[in-house]
Amino acid sequence: MAQLELQCLSKSFGALKVFEGLNLETKSGEIVVIFGGSGTGKTILLRLIAGVDDPTGGDIRIGGQSMIDVAPESRNVGMAFQNFALFPHMSAAENIAAPLNARGATAEVVKIGVDRVARLLKIDHVLDHAPRELSNGQKQRTALARALIAEPNILLLDDPLRNVDAKLRFEMRLELPRLLRQSGSTVLYVTQDYKEAMALADRIAVLAGGSFVQIATPEDIYNKPATADVARLFGDPVINLAEGAPQVRGKTVTFDIAGETIPLDGAYAAYAGRPVRLGIRPEAVEIGPVKDSHMAADVQAVTPYNERTVLLLRSRGGFEFLASLPSSSANIPNFGQSTGVKFNAEGLHVFDRDSGVRLVGQG
Amino acid sequence: MASQLTLTAVNKIYKPRGKMPVHAVISFDLVVEPGEIVALLGSSGCGKTSTLRMIAGFEDVTSGTITLNGKPIHTLSPAARGVAMAFEAYSLYPPLTIGENIAFALKAQKLSAGETEKRVKEMSAMLEIGDILGKYPTSVSGGQQQRASLGRALVRKAALTLLDEPMGQLEPQLRAVLRGRIKHYLREYALTSILVTHDQTEANALADRIAVMEGGELQQYATPQELKERPANLFTGTFIGEPPMNVLPVKVEIDAKNLSFRLQGGKDLVLTYPVGELDASLRKVLAARPEVVLGVRPHGVKLAKTGLPAEVVSCQWLGDQTHVAAEIASQTVVSVSHERLTLKTAAPIALAIAARDLHIFDPASGKAIAHGGKLA
Repeated sequence: MAQLELQCLSKSFGALKVFEGLNLETKSGEIVVIFGGSGTGKTILLRLIAGVDDPTGGDIRIGGQSMIDVAPESRNVGMAFQNFALFPHMSAAENIAAPLNARGATAEVVKIGVDRVARLLKIDHVLDHAPRELSNGQKQRTALARALIAEPNILLLDDPLRNVDAKLRFEMRLELPRLLRQSGSTVLYVTQDYKEAMALADRIAVLAGGSFVQIATPEDIYNKPATADVARLFGDPVINLAEGAPQVRGKTVTFDIAGETIPLDGAYAAYAGRPVRLGIRPEAVEIGPVKDSHMAADVQAVTPYNERTVLLLRSRGGFEFLASLPSSSANIPNFGQSTGVKFNAEGLHVFDRDSGVRLVGQG
Repeated sequence: MASQLTLTAVNKIYKPRGKMPVHAVISFDLVVEPGEIVALLGSSGCGKTSTLRMIAGFEDVTSGTITLNGKPIHTLSPAARGVAMAFEAYSLYPPLTIGENIAFALKAQKLSAGETEKRVKEMSAMLEIGDILGKYPTSVSGGQQQRASLGRALVRKAALTLLDEPMGQLEPQLRAVLRGRIKHYLREYALTSILVTHDQTEANALADRIAVMEGGELQQYATPQELKERPANLFTGTFIGEPPMNVLPVKVEIDAKNLSFRLQGGKDLVLTYPVGELDASLRKVLAARPEVVLGVRPHGVKLAKTGLPAEVVSCQWLGDQTHVAAEIASQTVVSVSHERLTLKTAAPIALAIAARDLHIFDPASGKAIAHGGKLA
């Protein structure tokens, strides 16, 4: 049982509160991504779990046992750092072998272990190199190999793809889930990249403002974001937000955006008159000669984005918003043209204007 | 008003003392049409920044000419060239506020105080820095400094606007909207512009044409669409596009009915096309080439009922697209779909690639032989 539990965990430095009341329970073998911007305390959280720093309050439990008075080396926790932290005077192989050697493993066991993990991470050809002879990608994989080889119950990965180039980051993102599953460890993975978070995680814990704002599957984070801030953190281009209030007109619920009225799902009738922000995912904006167009908009700019095309649009009333369409779509308008616009219901979210909390349709 | 820029046979050779000379820019030709937005794209050391600095006047050209509207400018001082530039390191004036930094760029135009204030206000609204105009550069974030630096360059509406890695530090949530607004502004005032970037997504989003550079040389100068559909060589093909193009070394087999590409690593791994799907001229060329390299964009790799047998390595949904990595023999092939897919790791799948999605390259030179079944 490798289950990790955080119970009401808090950390402060003097008067500075980093986070407070963090609760998390992981299943054995689960990959949980800790997602947040810089300065939110993600790395500090990993340091507390590893035991290199002490929490101000709360408990960390592994396999049901409190780790508060357990030394770092007795926790069976492995960690790979963003800046690699390799021993400069040792070869890549010696770096990788370090955790096994520290345990007093035989030379044969060490060699088999190092070869296996190095092949897995495609660094078997540079095992005799010193860290300074390795590329950043190779350093990162060496650090990862060192963390994996000990087969820890809990593996902590601190933004391991941060310092590698875009191409390798992409390749590693595709391969990491398989590597991590093979290790069998429960993984806490820290990143600031929402795509990495969605790609790797069984669940994502969004750390912001000193607490977990939402802990959920990638699907729920994207389709049912707990707050407007979470919705803004996941998605590129960013979700559009329009301020206003749902209104009940006869049997329908509507919402006014800069003088134009669009329909909302009837389930939002419960929030009539309440100041809200309407979130519109850019990929939920339909463009062109659409049936039942909600409004007309002028194309301010056309900015291709890989296999999608992003349009900056402005309605007649001055609402500026983004649309994202597959580049293969017919009828993508040009700069300076006007287009009909329709917002698909499944990409619309309603958030309380002041608290930012997502309001769920009722009935 | 809009200006045409030409670079003709421009070379830059650095001669560091006691070291070998470095030929940073090699016989570089470029024409930027009036009002056009051009990106110089490449990785570090490709010569893009040296080129930009020669246009701005911060570096001398070793040989060659640079003209703006037909008039040579490469011998003029930077200030006399009519060029506005946003620097990668921002280079804001520390004793001036953000607002004063932007207004400073308008000094030479001798506008009234009211007009200057109006332009600074418009620019700061566009770049979302209206609330920090009174602050000093060191007291704001890197992203805000970068926006201020952009504002100082753009507000001038100069004959030529140069932007060096203009968006690298921008907050991710602002990036898409600011790209759109900046492109709109450059279009609206028909500002001839050059941006230097290592980020192909930024070049594709903003530029009318992209000059791809590597090793000091121009690899290809074309529209984003041409670069995607007709890459001149393997370098350009794999540099442009995210996720990157799949690259598969294959053996060519031709008989009366079919043209086949055999992947290394197994007898069943063959992509077969009826000869009619490829031009006769291409078949002739391929008949003389036992080995070629296939390039296939991830969107060209489709999950199908029948096709190349593969095994799922990972299936990752990112909200608006799904990335599937699959293993064919020892190769990993990436397929991208706009739809949401849920495939289990190690599940067997079949992959199909249409003839129109094939790029064929020479394995030795990397030069393109064909795109979509037609000779390049």
